[in-house]
Amino acid sequence: MNSSRRSFLAAGLALPAAGLATTPSSSHSGSDQPAPALAPAGLSYQKLGRTGLTPTRVAFGCMITSDGSVIEKAADLGINYFDTARGYQGGNNERMVGAALKARRKQVYISSKSHAKDKAGALEHIDTTLQTLGTDYIDIWYLHGKNSGEDITDDLLEAQAIAKKDGKVRFAGVSTHKGQASVIDAAIKSGKIDVVLVAYNFSMGSDLDAAIGRAKAAGLGIVAMKVMAGGFRRPQPGDKTQETLKRDGAMVAALKWVLKNPQVDTTIPSMTDMEQLDADFKAMSSKFGEGDQKILSAHLERIGPLYCRMCGHCEGTCSQGLPVADVLRFLTYADGYGQFALGRERFLELPAKVASVRCRDCSSCSVDCPHGVRVPERLSRAQELFA
Amino acid sequence: MKCCIALLAVSLAALGQTLDCSLVPGWTQQGASRSYTGDNLFEYMDGNAEGYLVYGFVAMQGVNCESGGETIVFDVSEMADAESAYGMFTATRDPHGPLERIGMGGQIVPRRAIFAKGKYFVEIGISKDAPDVLRAFCRAFEAKVSGATEPPQTLAWFPREKLAPETVRLVPESVLGLRLLKRGYIAQYDYGKAFIVAETSPETAAEVMRKLRARVGETAPVKIADEAFEATDRYLGRLCFFRKGRYIAGFAGLAEGQPALPPSTALAARLP
Repeated sequence: MNSSRRSFLAAGLALPAAGLATTPSSSHSGSDQPAPALAPAGLSYQKLGRTGLTPTRVAFGCMITSDGSVIEKAADLGINYFDTARGYQGGNNERMVGAALKARRKQVYISSKSHAKDKAGALEHIDTTLQTLGTDYIDIWYLHGKNSGEDITDDLLEAQAIAKKDGKVRFAGVSTHKGQASVIDAAIKSGKIDVVLVAYNFSMGSDLDAAIGRAKAAGLGIVAMKVMAGGFRRPQPGDKTQETLKRDGAMVAALKWVLKNPQVDTTIPSMTDMEQLDADFKAMSSKFGEGDQKILSAHLERIGPLYCRMCGHCEGTCSQGLPVADVLRFLTYADGYGQFALGRERFLELPAKVASVRCRDCSSCSVDCPHGVRVPERLSRAQELFA
Repeated sequence: MKCCIALLAVSLAALGQTLDCSLVPGWTQQGASRSYTGDNLFEYMDGNAEGYLVYGFVAMQGVNCESGGETIVFDVSEMADAESAYGMFTATRDPHGPLERIGMGGQIVPRRAIFAKGKYFVEIGISKDAPDVLRAFCRAFEAKVSGATEPPQTLAWFPREKLAPETVRLVPESVLGLRLLKRGYIAQYDYGKAFIVAETSPETAAEVMRKLRARVGETAPVKIADEAFEATDRYLGRLCFFRKGRYIAGFAGLAEGQPALPPSTALAARLP
């Protein structure tokens, strides 16, 4: 199904670009840290794995940006990495990003993505991407939205190698939203992927940390997307949630949560306006604190089926004898109400044999929550937090 | 709330029944149909879901159709309203491609067709260049769905002189990158960018104008409609914003030598 969709998107709006892309000039092979236009304080950079690129830790996801002036301002503030994709708005997003950064091309890194499913389609995409962006190279070219290691085919890797050899892209990447650990491991194994773009946010706890750690150890750069957990943009029109979250600082708290992980080299939050840009920019220079945790915990309760309703359905179903509902409740004390001490105290009152159980040691979980609570994930978090 | 969910389910079921590959003779359905809501669209869209959500995405139904080894991917998104569906169309159309009169607006390129009718945004892709097949599906499906067939009236309020063709589009949030201008239309002219934002009342519009003045900083009052000012912003360039009743509109990024008053006055004259 997904490859059908990708194929469908790949079919759209491709413009002939034969002969357009040229071997890049030395302009992108020299300095690996573009200088910000205004060089303000508060910027922090991190080397993007073996690429040697040094993006600001808060970069810019352009997917839903509708006015190039926000991108221009971000570049002036010193944000030096901008991400788009061939499939965003039928290619219109690349067009807008290219226009906004035209005068600043040498000061910034640009990445785009191809959702093509084969080499020919991907190579057609990169030429169209370069033409649409109005540049003769991009810094990172991602295989877009791979859901399993098998999706990273030799055919697509060859396309990336050809594009690199031709000077159209500097580094190869892969983006993933689902089956992320599998994709990350396949990227490492390929030896040909330089950067992984992963969905990573506070709602995921430490689930992905091990895979990210393996990628980091292998020299890959780590870029985080979906840092706001998706829950900030509700599908129902008129829903006030997003406005509330903007007001109470949850979006910045979510970004800071990601930034506190040193394994993450940079982040690409979506930004639509100057105000959001200013707030995200500030996140780069302020630390994640207790107040942020409280905001996120409260938000977690709202956005997902993460919290136990105490229905009792799971009672006695854990093969390791865990009192599932109780442990979930202890976690709610900490995550939902900011009462960490109370949660830990209750957890430590559990019999030692039960408190020493680690859910990650089980290959599968015998507990099936009828309300969709992600039981193994939540219990693992409780064990990590309290034990 | 339960009532709303039930209504939504009924609406989608009805739509699902009209997604029929045999709309065009010789085509048959391949595999099961699919449906998504805002909560799981990301499973299908490979990172592009948010681009739909900002336009008030409600739900999507889709099927794949097959004929003689060729495949069509046929997706219909239900948006919050007709304006949002049209907005989605304007955001994804190729600005260099020709438009077709389908529903409120449509476009067919060799391997892709999109159009909006009523609150539905339709996307059809095919595995090889076949605009005639795409056109046949569009026409057949257009006849099956009800809803608005005229673009939102706001489009007509932009003066035509020196308006770059087919550049009027709906910005779902933060027009001109300003959060104060929540949602509205922009249009590209040879000499700058025009916008129109509708507030709920003249009072709320006046309040937004007050905040805009404060945000922009140094402003010079000018006489257009109920209130207006000119200013220069580092990122928006030379601008002229005015309020007429509940509407806030104006120009930004005005080219050097282009006076702000005449186009702004002309725009104001066309607003209700």
